[in-house]
Amino acid sequence: MAKPPIRKPKKKVCVFCQERIAYVDYKDTGLLRKYISDRGKIRARRVTGNCTRHQRDVATAIKNAREMALLPYTSTAR
Amino acid sequence: MRHYEIMIILDPNIEERAVQPSLEGFLKVVTGSGGKVAKLDIWGKRRLAYQIEKKAEGIYAVADLTAEPDTVRELDRQLNLNEAVLRTKVLRPEHR
Repeated sequence: MAKPPIRKPKKKVCVFCQERIAYVDYKDTGLLRKYISDRGKIRARRVTGNCTRHQRDVATAIKNAREMALLPYTSTAR
Repeated sequence: MRHYEIMIILDPNIEERAVQPSLEGFLKVVTGSGGKVAKLDIWGKRRLAYQIEKKAEGIYAVADLTAEPDTVRELDRQLNLNEAVLRTKVLRPEHR
């Protein structure tokens, strides 16, 4: 019997914990852009691999940046 | 006294050299009541991610200051009354 290959998901480590970044700055749009999709949506934790705390920090930073028009709420890339 | 960070978006149509004096004028409220402005960083014109008041650009500035909470509230109120100010954000960087 051919068993379907079981994919072992590679365990991602939170970038912010690794780099020991304590504060996620909402002004750093270059960094935050990595955590939004091309539609402008915030990437899920299962995609980014962030830990609970840093995912929340990133999300608040993105929301702050959106309020100040540094990042889009939505962008129609197509 | 607390540490605050204030971001201000100004109207892009005001003159470039009028930016610095007008911001310093706003921040007089802070220095006048015992606070300190540690840094005033003017980013200059920047494209907005979406239009604010039908404007596609804005002049960004970030000020780092220590002041009493009441002073900052007054500063924010005065900024929002001014028509050259499109938007403001007051943040306490250490506070989460």
